[in-house]
Amino acid sequence: MLTAFATLLSHYKRHPGQLAMLLLGLWVASALWSGVQAINASARDSYARAEALFTTGLDRLERRDGEPLTRDDYLRLRRAGLPVSPLLEGSIDAPDGTRLTVIGIEPFTLPGDSDFAAAGTAGELTDFLTPPWQTRVAPDTLPALSVSHREAPGAEPRLAEARLPPLILAPRLPPDTLVMDIAAAATLLDSGERITRLVTAPEALEQAPAGLVLTRAATLVSPGQLTESFHLNLTAMALLALAVGLFIVQAALGLALEQRLGLLRTLRALGVSGRGLVGLLALELLLLGIIGALAGIVSGVWLARVLQPDVAATLGSLYGADVAVTLNLPWHYWLGGLAVTLGGLLLAGSGVLWRAARLSVLGLGQAQAWRSGFQRQLKLMSAAGGAVALGGLALWLWLAWQPPGEGLLAGFGLVAALLLASALWLPPLIALLLAGLGRLLRRRPLAQWALADLQLQLPRLALAMMALLIALSANLGVSSMVGGFRLTFLDWLDQRLVADFYLRPPVEQHDDIHAWLAEHSEVEELLPTRRSEGTLIAVERDADTRELALPVGVYGITPGSALLPSWPLLATRAGRDEAWKAFAAGEAAFVNEQLAIAEGLAPGDRIGLTAPGGEAVLPVAAVYPDYGNTRGEVLLATPVLARRFAAPPGSIGIVLASGGDGAALRAGLRQHFAIGGDELVDQREVKRIATGIFERTFTITRALSALTLAVAALALLASLLAQARERRLQLAPLWALGVPRQQLVTVQLAQLGGAAFVVGALALPLGTLLALGLVAVINVAAFGWRLPLHVFPGEMALTLATAVGVALAAAALPATKLWRAPPRALLAEEAT
Amino acid sequence: MMRIAILAALLAALWLSGCAEEAPPGETAGFAGLGQEAGEFAQAHEDIRLSFPDDHAAHPDYRIEWWYLTANLEDESGEPLGLQWTLFRQALTPPDERPEPAPWTADQLWMAHMAVSRGETHRVAERFARSHSGQDDGQAGAVAEPFRAWIDHWQLATRVDTSDEPGDTFTELQLTAHQDDAHGGFGYNLTLVAEGPLVLHGVGSFSQKSADGQGSMYYSQPFWRVEGEVTLDGETRAVSGRGWLDREWSSQLLGPEQQGWDWFSLHLANGHKLMAFQLRGGGADGGDYRSGTWIDPEGEPTALTPDEIGMTPLATQRVAGREVPTRWRLEIPRAGLDMIVEAPHAERWMDTSVAYWEGEVIARDAESGDNLGIGYLEMTGY
Repeated sequence: MLTAFATLLSHYKRHPGQLAMLLLGLWVASALWSGVQAINASARDSYARAEALFTTGLDRLERRDGEPLTRDDYLRLRRAGLPVSPLLEGSIDAPDGTRLTVIGIEPFTLPGDSDFAAAGTAGELTDFLTPPWQTRVAPDTLPALSVSHREAPGAEPRLAEARLPPLILAPRLPPDTLVMDIAAAATLLDSGERITRLVTAPEALEQAPAGLVLTRAATLVSPGQLTESFHLNLTAMALLALAVGLFIVQAALGLALEQRLGLLRTLRALGVSGRGLVGLLALELLLLGIIGALAGIVSGVWLARVLQPDVAATLGSLYGADVAVTLNLPWHYWLGGLAVTLGGLLLAGSGVLWRAARLSVLGLGQAQAWRSGFQRQLKLMSAAGGAVALGGLALWLWLAWQPPGEGLLAGFGLVAALLLASALWLPPLIALLLAGLGRLLRRRPLAQWALADLQLQLPRLALAMMALLIALSANLGVSSMVGGFRLTFLDWLDQRLVADFYLRPPVEQHDDIHAWLAEHSEVEELLPTRRSEGTLIAVERDADTRELALPVGVYGITPGSALLPSWPLLATRAGRDEAWKAFAAGEAAFVNEQLAIAEGLAPGDRIGLTAPGGEAVLPVAAVYPDYGNTRGEVLLATPVLARRFAAPPGSIGIVLASGGDGAALRAGLRQHFAIGGDELVDQREVKRIATGIFERTFTITRALSALTLAVAALALLASLLAQARERRLQLAPLWALGVPRQQLVTVQLAQLGGAAFVVGALALPLGTLLALGLVAVINVAAFGWRLPLHVFPGEMALTLATAVGVALAAAALPATKLWRAPPRALLAEEAT
Repeated sequence: MMRIAILAALLAALWLSGCAEEAPPGETAGFAGLGQEAGEFAQAHEDIRLSFPDDHAAHPDYRIEWWYLTANLEDESGEPLGLQWTLFRQALTPPDERPEPAPWTADQLWMAHMAVSRGETHRVAERFARSHSGQDDGQAGAVAEPFRAWIDHWQLATRVDTSDEPGDTFTELQLTAHQDDAHGGFGYNLTLVAEGPLVLHGVGSFSQKSADGQGSMYYSQPFWRVEGEVTLDGETRAVSGRGWLDREWSSQLLGPEQQGWDWFSLHLANGHKLMAFQLRGGGADGGDYRSGTWIDPEGEPTALTPDEIGMTPLATQRVAGREVPTRWRLEIPRAGLDMIVEAPHAERWMDTSVAYWEGEVIARDAESGDNLGIGYLEMTGY
């Protein structure tokens, strides 16, 4: 048996290229898959830790006027019987520049369900409560503190300002977070009597105590939920890469079997049982699979390490989710990666094993026999494609009935169905096309032969073509979405950020600064904003009133002359001018697209709104786009928000007079009010940060999509190489009939180039459809807003060129071989 | 009464409340906590003379202390109700290691229990807070003049207006506490009027707790007339009855081998009061250590020695998964008493961080079965 196995493997010694191809396929497929899974697993770990932290899942109380709460506020509310707990939050810089979040808690009053005991260690409460206190910290924060894991417990790292209380390791805390008793935090942050906020168990309070604003935990979306679509995106990408990689494996395995048929027969004739042979082949598969998967997982983790900082930065800036920069992989990750690769390999190799099992001992070279069923296979593919398409249609109809923000998975299902149905329909379509063309070109024998020959190759090429189609469409779809997002987003930023500077003055200085700025000659216009939390309590359309209780953000802007012409509106009732007029007069509100989609609001409806300090019923005059926001928002004119809802003052947009000197204004503010640095932000800076975030997000998507395309090209190459030898068998008679080799090579290139062109051409509408699915279905489900669909002819041309280029490149190697083949070899082919 | 306390155990219990696999608090870890050495804390001893009203306030130099009120009440239809309100204090550090006062620094930990019971219904709540002994504006505390002991909005405070003339403010108190729960909330708002003097236990209020001489400072006010309102499951009733307040502080209460106690406070129909307890396993020969005070209607106490008290469990019931003796024989030959003391309702388990049994009892003559009085029984370590 051992000899038989060695004999089987000796094939690869003679054809190291095949072995390389097989391992390459396995390696690439499993590397992409495990890379993405590593990122996902690591991020999920961070979310789980963030959600286990007590600060999430609790209702929050803050002062309405924006002033900090104090210990006296806390004591007053406790004595009134309210179950509030103080929380002190601040940040300190680690020696290496990492910004660490310090959270001071009061363990006796902290609501139990979110208990940090769960995030903790079995320390003594007394040690936590009394000097020198304790710092609870996750092990992956230790490097920032320059403390090794071994010496961490009890260490007191020195920071610029002070020494930290002795460390206690608490693995379930989020990264870069230090948790300590509120007394220790107050000392470290030098915050005196001040606290950051009060927290209560969810729904413990029916309403906010006077002077405070209550923010329900339910309205604070958890990072896990928010980032779900991001990770689904990555996963879908990785699955695609895995599938495409397995195409390569399938092709290589097919080739390896095809070439060993004689050997297998000999082995059977020598007395190796059929079952034993299949077992040996399976063993070979397993061996290859383990080598490939291990190599893949190792490079996958490497890939993840490279991408992780970008992913972490993206998630941090987009969703405020803290994700560890270093990977943190659970044991099941490793096992899962291996299992998925091996499972995929088994799937790809099952055909080979099946064929080996049915191998007849005496039968001579029925290598082509399996093609006879191809017509039947085509019918099956059409039918299956039809079924998948119907499934996709059903999903789409179902999605149309879902409220926005629902059905993210169904959205991805829809996109997957679209891709799969198109891929399944591809071979029947090409077969049909070839048959039709064949009839047209009846009078040109060589062309007709080429078409007929391509038809014969189709069964082998079909899978690779399908892979190429999927990869091309995915690539086009994703780049269209990214491009569209980019255009829309940058445009929107330009429209939204009309002021030159944004100033966030301290509340107590707000009025003075406003007055000073208004007098300042450099300033053309001031655009103050305010913000509050409200509840949408009623929606009236015509005579119908629907009651609800939906927490919404209430945002106040100043409809000044700088802002008014550029602020984008998606829909109005009676034109922009009317809408702004009503808005400025305080007779109407605007709602953001998220809220409009979620509650089915349209201009002309009336909404009932309560916010601390007041209640109002206002008509909706317009809907505006609000990318990046995850919540429903109602927009009011700032003076209206101040007057009717007593909202605290927020930031002030400063529009400079033409030729106004920003530096002088900055200097003036610093001199008069000691304001500068963080409180005053340059518009260009905001844009730079926002675009930076955006670019990072899509670097990852683009990298993965390009990798997928590369894998698809490899698949095609593998398929072509697999049949290169057979091709010679087909071409030799033509050569013998007098067709020159040059023409034979051209015919071959034309065959493949043409086929790839068709695939590329099909990928164009499919990619566009995919992009539409991404912006109009998945985006709405994930974020509640829709992106306009942009079509990029350049991308399309590139897709087409990629398809043909890949095919030609893949065909080049076999073609060169043919080119170089000595006539003797061609003669020999004929002889066999 | 000494009662639960064991704040040391509570500390452990609270801290581990998230960890189900830990041993149930209040059993091994719990009561052993009371047996710790006193360290640099102040010590209770026979020569200490109490001084009022100062001693109504907190004694932060001692490790533990409590203000422990129970009351046997009746509503207007004569249906009995019971209530408990207890404020516990534990020092986090000995006096010489106390941190400097700062906004959130703490050297004292506070815990309060409240319970209302009627028939089979028994509602329990607890609260925790921190304070610094250098500040008396904290979330919890106890001050003497005017008297006030509080945690959050639960408080026991004087009703005596001392703005005109200073005086003893401990004679008339208001007890208010309320807790929201899934049953509609419970609580009370009661007036307490002292109808007798304070009673000092043991020798000049030093109450010995084991044969080797450990003990606590211990006085009571057993003569409260209680009037007011009790809310149970959202329903408010006018009530009246008798209350008993225990004050006790110490730095070391139990010998290392003592595992729990049984504690009686009885209002007898003839106007006498009886306090009697046994610490299981703290006697001279390794048996139980008993002590008590016989109080006449004028408030004159007579300390009872260990051999003057007979205390025998007669029957147990299964409560919260434990066998708890709910029927006792209590013999005080010196007072001519041979009583059967029984809990009419066994479901009085205090399912708090440190769990124990605390409920109303009825005392009957062992021979005739005549009703002799009512009171409260506390049992720990079961």
